[in-house]
Amino acid sequence: MIIDVNAWTGPWPALVNVPYDVASVRSSLHAYGVERIFMAPLAAAWSANPHLCNRVVFEAADAYADIIPVPVIDPTLPTWPAELEKAAGHRTVRMIKLMPSYGRYGLDAVDELFEEAARANLVVTVQIRINDPRRHHPLAMVPDVPAGDVAEAAKRHPNLKLVMGGASAATLREFAAQVRDLPDLYADTSQVDGVDSVKMLVDAGIGGKLLFGSHAPVFMPAAAMARVLNDLPDDAAVGIMKDNAAGLLRA
Amino acid sequence: MTITSLRQKLLPDGPVLDIHVHPLNCFGSYGVSSPVEDAERLIATACRSGVTRMCVFSLHETTPYEPTPDQCRFANNYVLRMRDAQPDAILPFCYVTPAFPDEAVAEIERCVGGQSMAGVKLWVARRATDLGLDPIMEAAVSLDVPVLQHAWLKSTGNLPGESTPYDVADLARRHPRARIIMAHLNGVGHRGIEALADVSNVVVDTSGGDPESGMVEAAVNRLGAHRVVYGSDAPIRHFGVTMNKVLGAEIADADKRAILWDNALRILNLRGETGDPS
Repeated sequence: MIIDVNAWTGPWPALVNVPYDVASVRSSLHAYGVERIFMAPLAAAWSANPHLCNRVVFEAADAYADIIPVPVIDPTLPTWPAELEKAAGHRTVRMIKLMPSYGRYGLDAVDELFEEAARANLVVTVQIRINDPRRHHPLAMVPDVPAGDVAEAAKRHPNLKLVMGGASAATLREFAAQVRDLPDLYADTSQVDGVDSVKMLVDAGIGGKLLFGSHAPVFMPAAAMARVLNDLPDDAAVGIMKDNAAGLLRA
Repeated sequence: MTITSLRQKLLPDGPVLDIHVHPLNCFGSYGVSSPVEDAERLIATACRSGVTRMCVFSLHETTPYEPTPDQCRFANNYVLRMRDAQPDAILPFCYVTPAFPDEAVAEIERCVGGQSMAGVKLWVARRATDLGLDPIMEAAVSLDVPVLQHAWLKSTGNLPGESTPYDVADLARRHPRARIIMAHLNGVGHRGIEALADVSNVVVDTSGGDPESGMVEAAVNRLGAHRVVYGSDAPIRHFGVTMNKVLGAEIADADKRAILWDNALRILNLRGETGDPS
């Protein structure tokens, strides 16, 4: 069984002729053996109220037992406590997602939300980037979330389980010591690229903190699989593709 | 699906030629002590993803945007030593700079004419519209080898000497007998594909940027599979991640085979080779 902690559904402006509905994304991941899909709404990135976009993933969970919704919470909206409570009360939600670059807030302004998420036993993924800034629309340039801010948040909130979502290989190499040493700081593999990149992170001692993420439908599931499977033996690969996430997310 | 069957699904069912590879000492995260070690480590990781042969070009270990002729010679000598260590796997390309056209032509004659390098590499010293490229292209045509031209469309802004796909199209029109490989399908995107639509002497390699869904399909639909060729840009990118842009694409199996092997043989004039040399 493979667990994907970073899948999406919904439109993305740069995607052309790529199906992004729930069923299509699910099918594209099933083709590569993914049996648990943690799915967030991609439309939340550009929405004035990302909470309105969460409906699609809650409905997906009603339709498919293998889809676990990952609602996006925006702490700049006054309704964030209610949205967090809704997530915490949902029968399958284990993780919420923050998109600080798109919501234009810093992680130092999220401490109250982090405390509430920890109390509710919800994992929080901070999406570092959605795609390479060089490929952004020139009128819609969105900077990466500084990975150091995520590491600092993990230090401030030792009871919170945090995931760096979509960090690059270079970023994760730079922060490997923090990921290794902070017990509840994790990272997904969805945007790790370069020769032996995941293998090098394993060699750096953070194999137990890496979670498989496909970034589908923005990126191709096959590519996400290859970066893990082509360079690692079965035990290390299964850890990243299943066991680490199963332990963290009770999936 | 078992891990074993999934691993199999991510690997090609035939030989693969990667047309866009750098030595580890240019962009790699590994330190290497010699060209021989560089070749061994590069091939080891390439093999894990099913790559059997690769075109390798150094941009000098310091990767200067404006290399001197001496730095180009140093880079080319490095790659020749890699080729000598692993001749079955490595097809070296000759790196030159259009800022020094006369020296560039002499270096092409030394490396391609004298050392049987398989092609010419141009990076970011001058845009492809620069007339300094003209004698380089004429030398490549004369020696019957392709030219791989870096290109990107960066919303953050290209470097002053960094070519856009429109520049590459201009180059192709100026030199209709040249065989041109434009790098970075995922770096030039849909606009880059469109820029090449009516210049038939340019193929695009699959490297550059992230494995965005739909790009290989778009290139095949607009240009034809015969004008798309597998390139990874390793070690910046992962051999297998880039290869699975092709293997995972919604295109015909015959098109995948063409992109991963047949087209490269045609472009490199290696048509007599049909199988896995290993």
